[in-house]
Amino acid sequence: MQYKRLYAGVFIALTFLVLFALGEGFWGGDGKAVHWTKKLFYGVCHQLPGRTFTYNDVPMAVNSRCFGIFLGLLIGWLLIPAVKPLTAGTRWTVGIFFVAVMLQIIDYSGNLFHLWENTNQSRAFLGWILGFSASIVVSGLFQITTKNKDL
Amino acid sequence: MEEINQNEKNPLSTSWPSIVIAGGIFSLISFVLSLLFGYQQINSEPSGAIFSPLMLSGVVICLVTCVAGAVAVWHYTKEVTVYLTLGQGALIGFLTGVVIVIFSIILNELWMLFDPGYTEKLIEATIANVEAMDMPASTKEDMIDSMAESVRSQQSVLQQLFWGIPITGLLNLISGMIGVKIFAEKKEESL
Repeated sequence: MQYKRLYAGVFIALTFLVLFALGEGFWGGDGKAVHWTKKLFYGVCHQLPGRTFTYNDVPMAVNSRCFGIFLGLLIGWLLIPAVKPLTAGTRWTVGIFFVAVMLQIIDYSGNLFHLWENTNQSRAFLGWILGFSASIVVSGLFQITTKNKDL
Repeated sequence: MEEINQNEKNPLSTSWPSIVIAGGIFSLISFVLSLLFGYQQINSEPSGAIFSPLMLSGVVICLVTCVAGAVAVWHYTKEVTVYLTLGQGALIGFLTGVVIVIFSIILNELWMLFDPGYTEKLIEATIANVEAMDMPASTKEDMIDSMAESVRSQQSVLQQLFWGIPITGLLNLISGMIGVKIFAEKKEESL
């Protein structure tokens, strides 16, 4: 495996990302002031309580789709050592990634235009697919290849 | 080959234009979108719809800013060299995220000079919309607190930097690595 330090660094960052996303129910708080984990995700998530899972009966710091994405990223990242021989030098992972992106857009649009109503579970599952595919799409780049050594 | 050797000498210095261009463009796009959605929210009657302009802006801006790292890598492969390592792509992505946060803060602060009452008007319009929603009172209160704090947080420059860089940087770091997979050719790296 190459880029070991990069792999380890991103793994640690993604682990904390998921733990921070659990929010006040995991990290504790007085319930009065806005929790620091919420401040951390202001820029990337709408954090609407009605569209968010709870942890210890407290809404998480991110909505269900974002939590699914972060969890998918972490689980996909964990599997990189196992899947990299299968994905190295291939492009099919890019196709799966774009399908996952399209799924989010279709699901979001369908809900927006009242074609169907998505739930926390469905949003988290689709987000998980996106996060997982995002990790898998880069997995092949961690594989040491013969071509690489020749360069 | 000569081109590759030049980039190996100082790959970061050659990537700054891509970082600044992509970061600048995407922060400008997200700033303009947030203003458009913001003023739409301010000038519309409270409908009680969960998909308010402010919420739409949050989703769109999030997607837009997360793409920037991959776009910076694409620009680098077009303008400098297609030979880019995963580590360089990750660094370009992370720094693009940092640039987006910094530029966004500057643009927001400049807009406050132009329209000082924007934030308060946006908070009032947001609260009015949530109050018109058909949901339990406790959920409404949570939503109002969350949204109002979200808008008010834009007033503190240091808070925006401190809270904005880690997550935006990490998401763009990953986006930068995806950019390497899609746009770059692989080469050896001593990481």
